[in-house]
This record gives sequence, C-alpha cells and structure tokens, in this order.
Amino acid sequence: MTKRRPVLLLLGLSAALACGKRGPAPPPGPPSAAAEQPAGPASEPEETGPRKQTLLRGGAVMTAAGQIYTRADVLVDGSKIAAVGVDLPVPAGATVVDLAGKTVTPGIIDTHSHIGVYAAPGLVGHSDGNESTAPNTAGVRAGDAYFPQDPQIDRARAGGITTMQVLPGSANLFGGRSVTVRLVPGARSVTDARFPGAPDGLKMACGENPKRVYGNKSGPSTRMGNVAGYRDAFQKAVEYQRTWAKYRKDLSEWTAKKDEPAEDSDDGKDGKKGKKREEPTPPARDFAMETLSGVLRGEILVHNHCYRADEMSGMLELAATYGFTIRSFHHATEAYKIADRLAAAGTSASVWADWWGFKAESFDGIRENAALLTQAGARAIIHSDSPVGIQRLNQEAAKAMHAGRRAGLTVTDDQALRWITANPAWALGIAEKTGTLEPGKLADLVVWSGDPFSVYTVAEQVFIAGELVYARGSLEPRTDFELGYKPGDISTEPGATR
Amino acid sequence: MSTHTTPPRPRRARRLAPAVALLSVLWGMSVEAAPPATQPTAPTQPAAAAPAVARAAAPAPTPARLGPVYLVGGELHVGDGTVVQDAVIAMDRGVFTVVGGPEARNKLPAGATLVDARGRTITPGLFAADTQLGLIEIDLESSTRDDGKATDHPVRAAHEAATALNAESSLIPVQVVDGVTSAAVAPTGGLISGQVALIDLVHGDHRGIVASPRVATAAHLGHAHAGSRAATLAKLREVLSDARSFPARRAAYDRAQSRELAAHPLDLEALQPALRQQAVFTLTADRASDILAALDLAAEFRLRLTIVGGAEAWKVADELARAKVPVILQPTQNLPASFDSMGARLDNAALLHRAGAPVVVAVLGGVHNLRNLTQEAGIAVANGLPWEAALTAVTLGPARAYGVERTHGSVAVGKVANLVVWTGDPFEFSSAPVQVYVRGAAVPGVTRQTLLRDRYRDLQQFNRKNK
Repeated sequence: MTKRRPVLLLLGLSAALACGKRGPAPPPGPPSAAAEQPAGPASEPEETGPRKQTLLRGGAVMTAAGQIYTRADVLVDGSKIAAVGVDLPVPAGATVVDLAGKTVTPGIIDTHSHIGVYAAPGLVGHSDGNESTAPNTAGVRAGDAYFPQDPQIDRARAGGITTMQVLPGSANLFGGRSVTVRLVPGARSVTDARFPGAPDGLKMACGENPKRVYGNKSGPSTRMGNVAGYRDAFQKAVEYQRTWAKYRKDLSEWTAKKDEPAEDSDDGKDGKKGKKREEPTPPARDFAMETLSGVLRGEILVHNHCYRADEMSGMLELAATYGFTIRSFHHATEAYKIADRLAAAGTSASVWADWWGFKAESFDGIRENAALLTQAGARAIIHSDSPVGIQRLNQEAAKAMHAGRRAGLTVTDDQALRWITANPAWALGIAEKTGTLEPGKLADLVVWSGDPFSVYTVAEQVFIAGELVYARGSLEPRTDFELGYKPGDISTEPGATR
Repeated sequence: MSTHTTPPRPRRARRLAPAVALLSVLWGMSVEAAPPATQPTAPTQPAAAAPAVARAAAPAPTPARLGPVYLVGGELHVGDGTVVQDAVIAMDRGVFTVVGGPEARNKLPAGATLVDARGRTITPGLFAADTQLGLIEIDLESSTRDDGKATDHPVRAAHEAATALNAESSLIPVQVVDGVTSAAVAPTGGLISGQVALIDLVHGDHRGIVASPRVATAAHLGHAHAGSRAATLAKLREVLSDARSFPARRAAYDRAQSRELAAHPLDLEALQPALRQQAVFTLTADRASDILAALDLAAEFRLRLTIVGGAEAWKVADELARAKVPVILQPTQNLPASFDSMGARLDNAALLHRAGAPVVVAVLGGVHNLRNLTQEAGIAVANGLPWEAALTAVTLGPARAYGVERTHGSVAVGKVANLVVWTGDPFEFSSAPVQVYVRGAAVPGVTRQTLLRDRYRDLQQFNRKNK
C-alpha cells in the first residue's frame, strides 16, 4: 500500500484540479488526457437571470459560413449569437448599435502564437517558450508558463484576435502541450483565459530546429534522428498504453474476485482462510507518455511545425502507421507542393502569407500557398507565429488572397476570411463554438472600420463571448506591465518632477 | 521557436517562358502610336542632365536593355507630394528625359510607340532603406551571408557592403516585381559597421548593380559597444575625434610618430566623407535618450545624421524636426520589445510628420520581404500619416535620408528612371505593379517564386506511382 500512495495522491490532485473541487475517489489508471491538466470550465458557464441583448445593426456582415451581406444585423444574446440576417426585429430592451459603413466578422483566431510564453519585453526572465533540455518534453504544458500580463496580448486583441493557441517552441521533437486561450482582459492566470472546452494540442517539430538545438548535445543531429525520435516515442506510448491496459484488466479481475480466497495461498495450516489476493500495483505514470497516449486516443490534437513537402509527407505516413492524425502542419511553406495529400489526409496547413527564406527549409515559400491549398480542397489557415503579425491577420489573409487571384486562382472573400476564423477554429477543435457568425455560436466578433481586407481598415470593436473587450480610443485595456510607462501615467509633461 | 524572424503578372505568367519574358514590357498595357509631334525634333532633355549616380566614383549605370520608353496617361505621384494627371513620361538611357502633363506630349518623338498608362497609378520605384538585400540569401545559413564582418574590433568603417553584393540573389526579383527598385544596403555588426551602398535592383548585373558604394557610414547607439551606453558614446567620440584629426597627422602616422589611434587608418580614412558632410552618418537608436545623444553627437562632429529604428522618436519629434534629421522607422514595430522601445506605437510616423520631422518608412530586420514596404506605408496611413507623405516616406524620403535625392527618389528629368505603374493604390493589397522599370528598363515579372508556383500549380503531373 505504501508504494501506491504517492501515485494515488498525484491522481487525486490532478483529478481535483480538473473538477475544480474535491471529487470522489479517482478512477484507477491515468485519467483521460483532457482531464490531465486543469482544464478550466468544460463549457461556458450557464447564464442566469435576464441576458443582455445587443443588436449590431446595419453593417456589412461576413459570416465565414458562406454569406456576405452588404447590410445586415447581428443579434447578440448574452454570450451567444442569436440571429444574423437582414432587418432583424429589435427585441424589447435590446441595445442597438448602429454600424452603417462598418463590417462585422467573426473574431480572428490564430493557431500559432508564443505570446505569454515569450512575453515582451524580450527579457531573459521572460524566456519561457522552449524547454530545450531534451528532445522530448511532451510532458510540459505552455499553460504553465503563460503570462497573462504580456503586453502583446493587448496589441493582438486590438487587431481583432479573440482566440489564440499558445504553443511551446519548436526546439524539441515534442515541445509539449499547447493551450488555447481567449484574449479576455483582466486574466490573472491562464485558467481565467483558457477557452472553455478546448482540447489540448501537442507541439511537434520537424526539420532544422531540433537538429540545430540538439546537434551538439544529445542529438538528434539529422532528420533521420528526428524521425527515429518520433518513432521511439510513439512506440513507447503504445507500450505504455498496453501496460496500463493490462493493469486495468488485472484490476478489474481483482476487483471482481477480491473477496474470494486466493487458490494458492490457502494452506489451511492454522485453520484460517487464505489471505486476500494482492491488489495489482499501477504502473508508473509518465506525463510525456500521457500526452502521447492522448494523441493516440485522438483527445490531443497534433500541431506539427514542418516546412518541407517531403517531411510533411513523411509525417503523414508516420501518423498513419501509429493511427493518429495530424491536425495542422504549421509554417508549411511547401504545403502547396502536397496540397492534394493534405486534402486527402484531412490535415490543415497553418501558413504565413509571405514569409520565406529565413532558413533553408523555408526557402520555397510563395504567396500563393494558401490559395493553392484552397484550390486543392485542403484546409488553409493563415497563422502568425509573431506578436507583430498577429495584430493584422486580416491583412495577411488579404495579401494571400490577392496573390492567389492574380495567379488566376479563385479565392472568395468568404474563403479568405475562413483562413483566419472558421478554419483555425477547426484546427483547435473549437469549431462548434466559434469561428463563424451563426446562431448558437459564441459572440466572438470584430467590428471593422471598413473592408477587413483593406490596409487602411482597423478593428474598432472586439467582442468575446458577447462582452465588449476592446473599443478603439475608449476601451483599450493595458496589462500591469505597461503601467507607469505611458506619458501621463506619472509625469504629465516631459521633465516634470513630482 | 520560430527562428527569425510573384505575385503580379500571374494572369499570363504561366504561358511566358523566360525567353519571351521581355514581352512582359507590355503586360496589361495596350500600345498606341503617338500622334505626329508638332515639333519634329521634339526630343528629350539634354544628355547632360543624366547623372545617374551619386557623387562618389561609381561604376557606369546599366544601359537600358531596350530603347526609349514613352508612357502616356495615368496619375503620376511624383514622390515629392505633387500629383500630375494624364502624365507623360519618357525614359531613355536609364534616366527620365521627359516628365510632365499632357502638354509634354509634344516633347515625344513623332511616331514613337507609346505605352498607354491611362487609368493607372504611377509612382517612383520604392526605395528600401537600411537593408541587407544582396548580402543575405538565407538568414540562418552563415555561408550565404555577407552582411557583417566577423571581427572583435568594433570599428569597421572601411568595410564596404558594395564589395560583397550578389546581383544574382534570388531575393532581388522578388522585391522588384512588387515595386522596389532601389536600396540602401548597410553592413551590420559592431559599433561602426561600415559603408552603405546605394543599389538599383538590376538582377544579375554584377558590374552595374551598385549605383554608389559609399553613400553613408552605418553606426549604432544603445548597447552597441562594451555592453554600455556610455562606452558606446565614448568610443564613437574617440574614433570620430581621431578621424577628424587624422588627415593632418597622416604623415606623422606614416613616420610612426603618432600615438596609437582609435582605429585602423583605413577606417579613419573611410570616415572622412561623413565628417565633411559628403556622406550621411546613420545611427541606430530606439530609446528617446539615445536619439537625443545621437543629435548631440551629430552637432558636435557636424554629421549629416539619419536615425535608424527610432521606436521612441515621436517623444523627441520637435528636436528632430528642428535638426531636420530623418528617422527611418518601421510603422508596425509597436511592441515594447525591449526597455529601449517601451514607447513604441503605431502612429510614430504620423506624430513625427506632424512635428515636421522627415520620416522614412522601411522594412527593418528582415531582408526577404522588402516588398511589404507598401503594406508598412499603408499602415502608417491608417494611423494618421497623410497618403502623399507616406509615398514620400518610401521614395524621395529615403533618397534624402541617404543624400542621394539628386539622382533618386522621385520622377524628375535627369533622375534615374526607376518607375512603377500600378493597377491602383500602391498601398492596397488589391493593387500590384503592372510594370516595373529599373533604370529605364522594363523588368520581367518572373521570380524564383513564380517559377515554383507554376511548377506546382497542377499536382496531377506528380501522381506517378513509384513501382
């Protein structure tokens, strides 16, 4: 029994955290991947009492679900979108916001950010994005390093971002778990920002980065070594699952028969019944293996930093071998070379509009990447991987859209909008909840000053779950970090002393 | 860990093999014959007006690969804030020979073939400030980099970017087809990095790409030297003082009768043009206090100063305006990325302009997408910079910031014929160049990227089974 205690304590702790309260005794065996880290609320909290209704009236409305209205209304009811359409009736008591000349879109979603784990300023003390101590750190979680006082969060929100996936870096083959957060102001911990019910992701990395980081350490130092590392890890995960499956089987058998005497222990010497059967001992719990097991069970979504077409093809093959799917290749500058394969595998590609050439594996990047993916029926996403780029994903989508059109490819405004809304929502496993302007979805939306694909357009208002979290010029939250640095915070004029 | 950091013409690009790429001259443009000119001899400005290159002895400019080009129609934004409707532009032997409105039509030769630019927007070619274009092919591959000198000595004034330029860099056409025609190529590293070269983006022309090899000396403030602001400034003063007195001491130095100098004699020589205001002195500085230190240093040594970076320049906009010191900045750099840029903001350019300080918009810290100058300019406009000022900030503004406005930066007779004809507003994503001219020659719309795109446009062809 004493041997088991620490394990049970651990299980209990994480289960308690997962439920947010003390629950009943944990079930034997590792809990599901979703419950393995504190997940925040599994869904939006129930709304009680009268809900606030807001009618956003008369703007252009782009739903990212196939409709583009030149003039329509969006009815927000509490945290959700209640209706989208032309000339909606005004519910009694609803606040009406006139948006003539403005454009309403879903909130922008970025599948790839390191905001919060590489907080600004870029201080040594803020460097929390790469646990570059071993090539497999699948057990670490970006959420444990997410700094909600990163001023970059405010800049991203002002650019219309409502949700982002914060990933560990790409130094490792397995960088660790990502966390999907909402850009709500005032979060004091990651739990306050976590997107309710969003699954965890696993960051994996191909190519040059793991090679470079570990080439002079433990290895891998080649792409061969990279792939050997993935295979080793997934094979171990399969065996880890097997070990736990055996334990659960033994345990259930033991549970069924624990009150029966063990056959071989009944020596009958002193007339007593034989001693009880020994309870099976659970295997050691390994958090990296937990993460990989979650991938194999389909509970954790794989986000794979990978640039080259040949490597992405190889990763698709490896995933098929172990029976999991890759949810999104990130950066994927050569995705256009295998757009057909990505479409067939149901794997999305999170790409930049035009980054290229900063390393050998990114040398073949082209601006038509997203358009070619869309043409092939693959799911294209424009991501940022940058605290600057995240501030204007709408412009990056516009660049990629127009590059495609100039190349003779058909890309509709709706499709380009999906690159930064519905498609990233799918990649993050939250498409049922957000990513389009449809009744029943969360009211995550942006009011733009005009066409979101114009360089001159800015986000004027941003709503998250129906709550106004940004209004240009009047509601511009600032994180703790920046207090005292803005002129006027302390001295009202340069040189003034107090 | 993300480590860091063509479009147009596609309509027809696929069908155009490189061999026939010259046809691209006429892409998107119809051609008409000029009406007989009223004055038969019409022609152009005297050849004497064709300086082509800045002061320093420079290689001869690339001769135009085609004959004269005559553009008629379109809205010309000259680059200095003026706009000409129904423009008439002639380019010959690499320079503008006629620039005007409809009245200039009679300056064109009789029977000349005209390029119809009606309905188009015409601007000077874009000028990329403070870049390493031609010095870097792949950032993370040191074997492809020539931007800095691997040495511990902080003073590298004699190090010349011009001598390392690769005119065949694949990056050059990628920028050109989106309208970038000139660049100030600066070496990097150290306290004084070396000599900045002015180039025109003539891909493949190793002899001709450098328009002027030493338009500026690039140096840095902040923690550039010995991990200390004070040490950085002290070292700069020491070097500039020795450089100032060096010409008079040269003989003594050669006789070995001189004290030890702060830098190698070649470096001290290389600083002479800057000390005589014949070349610009650029200083990288973001923090407001560093910018003020730069102004003081420039006043002390009578330097023609240009600030690079300038994240907090808006805080000292009035002083910059009084000193007429240009600031090369990147409008999207609005993050408190370090304690030197806590005041970074999106309207930096607008605030400087409002105060009367010269503003240059640049893509800093990355060399592959200088083409996004248009986006940067547009974002500056969205944050308060007037449109024409933004155009100046990517054309004549950088030319002035590097002291080459006599030959570059605007559409004017005698200046180098770098010109872009756009489908619409150059800053909008929906617009793209119809044609780019570098030194009067129409540039083909082919890049390594369009070749890749066209190779993988149809994936059917790759679906062969490996049996």
